[in-house]
Amino acid sequence: MNHALGISSYLIVAPMLALLAASLVPVMLKVFSGNREPHPFVTTTYGFIAVATALGLAITFLGGSKFGFHNALVSDGLSLWASVIVLVSGGFSIFMMHDHVETQTKLFSEKVFLLLGSLIGMLIVVLSNDLIVTFLGIETMSLCLYVLIAMSRETILSKEAAFKYFILGSFASAIFLYGIALIYGTAGTTQFPGLMEQVGPLLESRNHLFLIGIVFVVLGFAFKVSVFPFHFWTPDVYQGAPTPVTAFMATAVKAATFVAILRLFQSTGYQHSLPLKEVISWLAALTMLVGNAAAIMQANFKRMLAYSSVAHSGYLMVGVVAAGFGDSQGVASAAGIVVLFYLLAYSIMTLGSFAFVALLEKSVGQALQVDDVRGLARSHPVLAGCMAIVLFSLAGVPPLLGFFGKFGLFSLAIEQNFYWLAIWGVLNSVISVYYYLRPIVLMYMQGEDSSANAPLIEMNKHIMTRFTLFGSAVLIIIMGMFSSPILAALKAAILGRS
Amino acid sequence: MPMSNLVDVGLSHYLALSAALFAIGMLGVLMRRNVIVMMMSIELMLNAVNLTFVAFSRFRDNMDGQAMVFFVMTVAAAEAAVGLALAVTIFKRFREVNIRYFEHLKG
Repeated sequence: MNHALGISSYLIVAPMLALLAASLVPVMLKVFSGNREPHPFVTTTYGFIAVATALGLAITFLGGSKFGFHNALVSDGLSLWASVIVLVSGGFSIFMMHDHVETQTKLFSEKVFLLLGSLIGMLIVVLSNDLIVTFLGIETMSLCLYVLIAMSRETILSKEAAFKYFILGSFASAIFLYGIALIYGTAGTTQFPGLMEQVGPLLESRNHLFLIGIVFVVLGFAFKVSVFPFHFWTPDVYQGAPTPVTAFMATAVKAATFVAILRLFQSTGYQHSLPLKEVISWLAALTMLVGNAAAIMQANFKRMLAYSSVAHSGYLMVGVVAAGFGDSQGVASAAGIVVLFYLLAYSIMTLGSFAFVALLEKSVGQALQVDDVRGLARSHPVLAGCMAIVLFSLAGVPPLLGFFGKFGLFSLAIEQNFYWLAIWGVLNSVISVYYYLRPIVLMYMQGEDSSANAPLIEMNKHIMTRFTLFGSAVLIIIMGMFSSPILAALKAAILGRS
Repeated sequence: MPMSNLVDVGLSHYLALSAALFAIGMLGVLMRRNVIVMMMSIELMLNAVNLTFVAFSRFRDNMDGQAMVFFVMTVAAAEAAVGLALAVTIFKRFREVNIRYFEHLKG
């Protein structure tokens, strides 16, 4: 047996190694300059260089169908595109952290270090070909995030949010790990390719221990992406965390974890378990409903966006259901394409919406209300217009990016005969229009009571956050227009491996 | 031989024990309000998983499970470090490590 690791193994992890090396630079600079905090702009530049280098290395070396470290890691189209999504979200989050009052403290270089560490964990998750490696990646990513949330300048809400996230996250990790142990004991392996071959026979022979293992693993994932019975932490943590960190959690964590879920559901063997199919379909349906219904009732802007992210997890679960329980060959790849496209669209829209919130937060611990944006279009027509585009896209209005994401997911569900799930998803999108349009109505159509001499709303002058909002609006329009070439590129990348 | 009076300890015994430990840990997290006790309960859950791994490894003659235990132990240590650091910040703010002060995030 050959135990040597080829150079290809190290090329696969090159982005992570680059991130690790670069993440140490800001903290080391601080240590060697007598614990004096470097200028935030310097730290941000290092963070940006780190992310850009990792992105370049990922595009260069990932893709194709390569395995590394004795099949513990896999580098295919799915991992390539997910790495791109994760790294771009991370880069924009560093930009927003540079500007925001709650994150730009005397410990800014440590925060950039933690964010880059979290990115390493996410890359491990998207490249992982083994459940135990997925677990390690999820833990790396989460442990950095717990600390990142707690390091906010704000002292009450952020600590509470960090601790809630920590306790519930560790709880979910333990359940996830117990699931891995049961799968290991029944299937004899935790590597995805071997596991996928075993799923059919084990479920067909009614192996309850294996079924419990799969259910526990799914529950662990469900917590990380805030799917219905485990979504309760989402609004609390999203509200308590500093807005740039919230943007990072809402985009990158979700993208990385959904890729891991897709890898788990790459088998056609799951059709042997009817209860599992029912349970996961219902989780998807209820997640959409709970997210949208609760978002309508929120007055706090960040809580509204948090519930909206719960609803988007529900839409994404439709893709997972189609991947695991669809009846045609190659449905897992088709689901991979649409889920990745949706994640790409969702990440861009979410970064834009949280950048907008960050621009309106002026003081530490300020809870931005939806009503606070009243009449914003008068003082900031361009930024209000950008936010309107982002919100229209989140609602799924046709020429924009969000529409094509939803269209892909729901048409896949219909192709695989999940008619009720597709119809339910469309109905929920209609509900969501209500709360996405409310800020737009408030921004553009002031009530009778607010006369022309009402004070104009000032937004922060943060250049990088403005750039994030503006960039996301532009990307939504451009990528909406060119959605078919992007889908074709995703298809080529994902189908190319098999 | 007196040993023959004992029941043969098999895989199912280990699995039952670890399931019981896991359930106790779960209940601890859900029912206790003291932050330190909650973290101890999570530790108990992780160690129950370790027991499962080792038992499966022994009875399936597959060494992978034992290697996984090392990973789990490392993660548990890292989690404890982060958790205790968070407990210290909470203690600094509220003068007690109890989650009954957590009432600011609602809605």
